[in-house]
Amino acid sequence: MDLPVESAITGPGALTGVAGQLAGRPLEEWNAAYAKVENYFHALRIRNKALLGQLVLRVLERAMKRAPAEPDHSATYIAAEEMDRTVTEWFAAVLQAPPTNADQMLSTRGRLALLLADMPGKWQDQFLRPPPWPEEFVSAMRETYLRAGPDFQLSKMSARPFDLGPITTLTNLGRVPYLKMSLAWTLFVLFLVAVFYFTH
Amino acid sequence: MPGAAPQSVPASDQSPPLVVSPLPRVYRGWRVFIFYSSALLLTGLVSMLFADLLWRTGWSASRTVLLVVFVILFLLIAIGCMHGVFGFFLRAFGDPRRITQTDYRNQSMAGTSTAIVFPIYNENIVRVYEGLRATFESLEKTGQLEHFDFFILSDSTDPDKWVEEERCWYELIRELDALGRIYYRRRTDNEGRKSGNVRDFLNAWGRRYRYFLVCDADSVMRGGTLVDLVKLMEAHPTVGLIQTVPALVNAESLFGRIQQFSNRLYAPLFIAGLNYWALNLGNYWGHNAIIRTEPFMQFCDLPQLPGHKPFGGQILSHDFVEAALLSRANWEVWLAYDLEGSYEEVPQGMIENAQRERRWCQGNLQHGLVLFAKGLRGVNRLHLLLGICGYLAGPLWLVFLLTFNWIHWYQKYTGLSNITVHAFTPYLNLSGIAHAFLVFVICMAVLFLPKVLALIDLAFDWERRRAFGGLTRTTVGVVGETVFSTLHAPLLMLWHTRFVVTNLFGVSVGWSQQKRGSDGTTWLFAIRRHWGHTLIGLVWGAFMWQLNRYLFWWFTPVFTGMVLSIPLSVWTSRRSLGARARKLGLFLTPEETLPPVELVSLRSQMKIHEITDDTTPRRPHAGLAEAVLDPYVNAIHVSLLREKRLNPVYAEQLDKLGVGRETVRVLGERLLAEGPAELAPADRILIMTDAHAMVWLHQQTWLRPGESLAPWWRTAIQEYSHRD
Repeated sequence: MDLPVESAITGPGALTGVAGQLAGRPLEEWNAAYAKVENYFHALRIRNKALLGQLVLRVLERAMKRAPAEPDHSATYIAAEEMDRTVTEWFAAVLQAPPTNADQMLSTRGRLALLLADMPGKWQDQFLRPPPWPEEFVSAMRETYLRAGPDFQLSKMSARPFDLGPITTLTNLGRVPYLKMSLAWTLFVLFLVAVFYFTH
Repeated sequence: MPGAAPQSVPASDQSPPLVVSPLPRVYRGWRVFIFYSSALLLTGLVSMLFADLLWRTGWSASRTVLLVVFVILFLLIAIGCMHGVFGFFLRAFGDPRRITQTDYRNQSMAGTSTAIVFPIYNENIVRVYEGLRATFESLEKTGQLEHFDFFILSDSTDPDKWVEEERCWYELIRELDALGRIYYRRRTDNEGRKSGNVRDFLNAWGRRYRYFLVCDADSVMRGGTLVDLVKLMEAHPTVGLIQTVPALVNAESLFGRIQQFSNRLYAPLFIAGLNYWALNLGNYWGHNAIIRTEPFMQFCDLPQLPGHKPFGGQILSHDFVEAALLSRANWEVWLAYDLEGSYEEVPQGMIENAQRERRWCQGNLQHGLVLFAKGLRGVNRLHLLLGICGYLAGPLWLVFLLTFNWIHWYQKYTGLSNITVHAFTPYLNLSGIAHAFLVFVICMAVLFLPKVLALIDLAFDWERRRAFGGLTRTTVGVVGETVFSTLHAPLLMLWHTRFVVTNLFGVSVGWSQQKRGSDGTTWLFAIRRHWGHTLIGLVWGAFMWQLNRYLFWWFTPVFTGMVLSIPLSVWTSRRSLGARARKLGLFLTPEETLPPVELVSLRSQMKIHEITDDTTPRRPHAGLAEAVLDPYVNAIHVSLLREKRLNPVYAEQLDKLGVGRETVRVLGERLLAEGPAELAPADRILIMTDAHAMVWLHQQTWLRPGESLAPWWRTAIQEYSHRD
């Protein structure tokens, strides 16, 4: 790995003369930013702690460079943005697909490619690493494609209604007004008749 | 037009033009005549004896009712008995008319393509996928996997289930290296329920496959059986559908084990009997059946029935009707009843079983209208009618018992004498009581004869006998099963009566999902479900005790089932009791004594899940959190949504839902700021259906400072960040 870890704390604008501050922000802010970036990489299943730390610092270095110029944004926000940008740029490089702001789908494609290439299992050390990458890794990233189904071969089934003959008329009886009420009264009358009949 | 060639289909991808002449009508006609005449003859004789008994105690209107109901009920049990009797002799002497009789095993599979579809709806995903895995691995061993594709066709409405299905699907295809072999599709609307789900699959991909095989969520199929089914279809180009007879397996509770024992022991006889008269106009039970795609697509789209519920509208129980429609178009439908390697599971308790019965009851009653559809074959009408009668028998039995009680009550309280006169059959020289007893004994004989025949059938088959644990144990099992059925039958009678009545009046009876304890139905749930049965049993028993103590003892089997319904329901749902019975060698089935590889694989995988899976209850909306926060689950979810757009029908449905509109983004903002609980379920589903919204949400949740997110999100992010 050739990540410039030390540059995060020695690079231009990284340390200021103010005690308790880094790049013009309180240390606590960078701590929170660190946690945010670490959390995301953790969610990407980067489990190697040394590697995780290096990747986080690399993002933070970029964030620290931006921080002095953006006093309105928190360090966490800037770091999260840089994290997103770093990852998307890397996806663009690996997948040979230029990033566009309009389509966030590159990020989705990249994450899917990471999953299909089994980055968390086989290629953790290649994540966010600049080229050249191993040929196997590149082809795994570029060529795998998640398919939910084969190509559609569209058609349309169409039902043929049943001919129920005179029964169809009966099925429309439900539309007769007050049918249920009339039925209930008829049942009641029949009940009375039955009671009378069976008790006499 | 019976005996005619199947109605043609525009075939570019059809089976080889092998010609198999359908059975001549007269042959099947004789079989139907002989079979049903036997049942009718038996019914006629016994009904005469019963009518004579009623005559001896003085005729009345209520006795007319009793006789009519008796005739119907006896006819039904006589038909059941004849299935057993005919099946017994066919098994003993061989049945020359079977779909499997032909030499199909050398048939080539070249050029065939079969889709194995699993329609699911908010199911236990782990179980569904492990069943699929077992089937896939078994098929792989046959070396014919290349001719099959698997489809998980989800209709799930629960967002948590939806996300879990997607995640587990990916894990499954990764583990099986089955990318491009096992597919997943979720519908955006559930139009047409299961049949609509399958129809949607056919409209999207149907024409890619010569055959498709429908599995239930709990189905498992042996690879060899799948290959056999395809070869059978290839060998019989006029066959539209072959239904296997799934063996009930994997039951652990006492109830489930009793059910699967009776299924494995009795079903071979009954189905052989069914095949005797149905032949190539067999039936379809909705799953574990292979279907020729083209004729199914042409002739089996289900129309809406005219009128309103309970008969009108969408056809709920589609399988019988689809078989009837195939037969109407002269495509043969067969039961491959001697093909092993087809499995399904059984409800583990009486209440779960009743819940399933309720759904089936609704669908079967609706067939009352389909019965009148013009052009259907007579045999198919018989299938439909028998299905309906299976549910009407419950209320009819209740009417019979109540009328019987009424007659005795009327006799007692009007003070009328109970003097018996001579019977029509004086040469029998029977007293009134002996006469009644004779009718009773005949009824019992007709009911139990198939069980005895099943035991005799087993006695002469050494291999099967061993698989059931020996003849002695099986006999004890049959006695135990009979005792349980006797207690269970009155409860089914009450349940079926309730289902039929509520369905006929269009009343929807909502049943809450069962809260199962670790070892089956809980006492509280059983009390809630059975208190009515217990009360009816107690009141009825007390009434009979007052009325006639002699009669009371005759009615005890009916009351006992009702009065003991709560403990019966709880105890029979217990896995521990099921295990104890198994240890004693009771209710053993061939799949328990000699488990097939597929089931061993399924059980071991399920055991691994049981041990390793996190059983802590998930937070509300955990699926949504996962789909938004997890970078990979989000990517899978979005990728599947995007693929939908390639199908114009799905794209139109998505547009209709409002996907892609600005309102979804607004809902997304609300979701972030207020949390999912503040959104309506439909809004949450809408957001989850919008690919762009889901990508945006993923980015925003990880980008925004915690303070700008709802506390729910902050907690979810914390959980995700520390998850291994």
